[in-house]
Amino acid sequence: MNAPTPALVASRPERLRLVGQRRQILTMMHQRLMFGMLVYAGVIALIVVRILWLAAFGDHAGAKRGLASLVPERGDIVDRDGVPLARTMDAWTIGLHPGKVIGDKLTLARKLAQLMPERDEAAYFAMLRSGKRFYYLRRRAAPGLVEAVNAIGEPGLALEREPDRLYPQTTLAAHVIGYTTIDGHGVAGVERAFDKQLSEPASRGQPLQLSIDARVQQALEHELLFAMTKFSAIGGAGVVMNIHTGEVLAMTSLPQLNPNAAGQGSPEARFNRATLGVYELGSTFKPFTVAMAMDSGIIKSFGQMYSCPQELHVYGHTIHDTHPYGRMCSVAEIMKESSNIGTAQIADQLGATRQKAFLQKMGFLNRVNIELKERGRTLTPGSNWGPLETMTVGYGHGIAVTPLHLATGYATLFNGGIYRPATLLKVDRTHAVAQGHRVFSEETSYKMRSLLRLVVMQGTGKMADAPGYRVGGKTGTAEKLINGHYTSASVVTSFAGVFPMNEPRYVMVMMLDDPKATKETYGFHTAAWNIGPAFGTTVSRIAPMLGVRPDKNREPDMSLVLPFVHEEARH
Amino acid sequence: MSARSFRSVFMVASCAGAALGCYLVSLNVASERASLEDVENKIVMTQRDIRSLQTEIGTRGRLAQLERWNVKVLALSAPSADQFLEGGFQLARLARPQEKLNVEAPVVLASAPAPQPTSPSLVEGEPAMESGAGAPSAAQLMRQASLKLPDREEPAVVPVVPPAQHKAAEPAKGADTKQKTVKAAEMKPAPVKAQKPAESKPALTAKKAGDKKEEASAKPVTKPVRMAKVDPLAPLPVKSNSKKTAKESGSAR
Repeated sequence: MNAPTPALVASRPERLRLVGQRRQILTMMHQRLMFGMLVYAGVIALIVVRILWLAAFGDHAGAKRGLASLVPERGDIVDRDGVPLARTMDAWTIGLHPGKVIGDKLTLARKLAQLMPERDEAAYFAMLRSGKRFYYLRRRAAPGLVEAVNAIGEPGLALEREPDRLYPQTTLAAHVIGYTTIDGHGVAGVERAFDKQLSEPASRGQPLQLSIDARVQQALEHELLFAMTKFSAIGGAGVVMNIHTGEVLAMTSLPQLNPNAAGQGSPEARFNRATLGVYELGSTFKPFTVAMAMDSGIIKSFGQMYSCPQELHVYGHTIHDTHPYGRMCSVAEIMKESSNIGTAQIADQLGATRQKAFLQKMGFLNRVNIELKERGRTLTPGSNWGPLETMTVGYGHGIAVTPLHLATGYATLFNGGIYRPATLLKVDRTHAVAQGHRVFSEETSYKMRSLLRLVVMQGTGKMADAPGYRVGGKTGTAEKLINGHYTSASVVTSFAGVFPMNEPRYVMVMMLDDPKATKETYGFHTAAWNIGPAFGTTVSRIAPMLGVRPDKNREPDMSLVLPFVHEEARH
Repeated sequence: MSARSFRSVFMVASCAGAALGCYLVSLNVASERASLEDVENKIVMTQRDIRSLQTEIGTRGRLAQLERWNVKVLALSAPSADQFLEGGFQLARLARPQEKLNVEAPVVLASAPAPQPTSPSLVEGEPAMESGAGAPSAAQLMRQASLKLPDREEPAVVPVVPPAQHKAAEPAKGADTKQKTVKAAEMKPAPVKAQKPAESKPALTAKKAGDKKEEASAKPVTKPVRMAKVDPLAPLPVKSNSKKTAKESGSAR
């Protein structure tokens, strides 16, 4: 009895211990199991959440880029009728990853040289053996070439689509539109001026509509280029503007530039002569002087007489005329035969202060007011604007402005006397006409019509007439300043005109830089002989497009000037 | 028992069924949405294609290129001022340039005979002679102006002169009687035609320069018609005047 008792006693704690151990092990196992399950559940939950997330917001295999893909990388530029002038297209790019090439490098180099002969075999082979990661072989590649390169079947050749700026009209309005770098940042023209608007995602979906009319632009460019080649000029510029709104309908600068390959163009071609180049534009300034004098009450009628000797000696200088009168002449005659002597006297009466004030109001003393960034600084006599300078400025010498300045000035003179800055954006509901300010009185503006019509009907601008379109305008021939001396061998000829003169609507300025005399011009190289005829042809081409109806029976009120033109003076 | 014990199973099954149904609906919606997206994508891709094709066409047919073709081949130039018309009226005026010539002829005719008949009626023998001599010259004028078939009518002129002189001898009354005789003579061959020339021929001669006269008169018999021509020149001062003026003004209009 006693013996088992201790055993019993002894065995009891042992069993108890065992039970305790088992329980401990069990709980530990439970804990571990629980932990494992939690981990497992967590992982599954994570996966489920991820799947749900993907289901809710993720892309599925068939998903493509949505409607956003039609918004181009850079906004389009269109003309006033919606004709595209600049577009961003997907172009093929051929690249090379030398590291990924698996075939024979020499054969590949040979094939590449055959397809793209701009580099030779050795150059391609050197590229393949170099350790570089990537080369551009060709950007903006033609589809045929891409197909041929694809047929080589080399994984090291990368064919990709890349947004690329394309100018479908090539040279048309190149200086207005400008061009971009290969990465799509504007560096000239509208591309530069509106770079932000064209590249911002919010605004680039909407094309940028310019005031340019592609047809007018083409006509202007063609006729000016024709004149430029005919008279072997080194350059030219032309502007067509709506005088009431200040919209620039066409603006060109020659020599031509192809913005698709702007880098290949010469610096001369990239230079915008219409807004960046400043020129002494000569006699085209005379109407301003007369209008200033009329507004100041100096000229009361076109019959006012001035003495027009063979040559005028003033302030130690001599002023000459191409068609000297050698007698008394009226204001109408001064303008008709473009007399420097007469205009100088009018300018002298006007005085420097008033002249400067008028020029300031017309914006001639500052950079031309337009959206472009390429704007030339006007050259003026500055601090030594004395009586002699007043006289020379009166007939357009000693002051250098851009052709666009001149066009704006003529617009001011003939739209009723209100200066409005030029604009390259189409005037419509979204873009209102710019605020203007008065420079000349309405009466002056009205009277000047007949004066400039007289120049074209009977005076130096006869060749610029386009029958039926009532062109009025003024020729300008200015000697160029070469090595500090004016030389008659090299001139800048210009014609600034307005049509139809009985109800002015459009102004056009055309300019040739250094035209040469030819046989047809009888050895003359003045504006009347080279740019004048070009102006007439251009007007008869563009006026119908602009809705100007030719009518040979309508003229401005010529009774204001015709009585004051001496009959004998006719040539 | 069984229904109660399986209740939970049914619950689970119905829940699962509902969930499945919901899932199917959403799946359906998703697939619809995906197909819609596909269509939208296709539209965008097509628009993109259109855009690139338009650009290509625009580039190939750019204005500079058109200009080049025009210079080389077509040689079209801007219309001159005269090529623009004010409207339909001006266009219609361009459409009939030949009628201007016809209009000029009657003007000459109408003025030529008009003053001469008035003088013979007032004065006697000698002035009547002059009128008789003047009349054929007017007739010649007519033929020259008309420029048609002068040979046939020239013989008609020659006989015209003597009868006119005879008439001058016996002035107005004789003319009336002769007119009647002429009418009577003409009634036989062609009654209708004969009446017409007697009444309205002076007007016709004035109007249409010979053409119709020939057709009307030469066809039946030549001689009586000549007679009819002779008469109206002398005796028709009053009638011819009024008619001519009326018709002149009419034609002018």
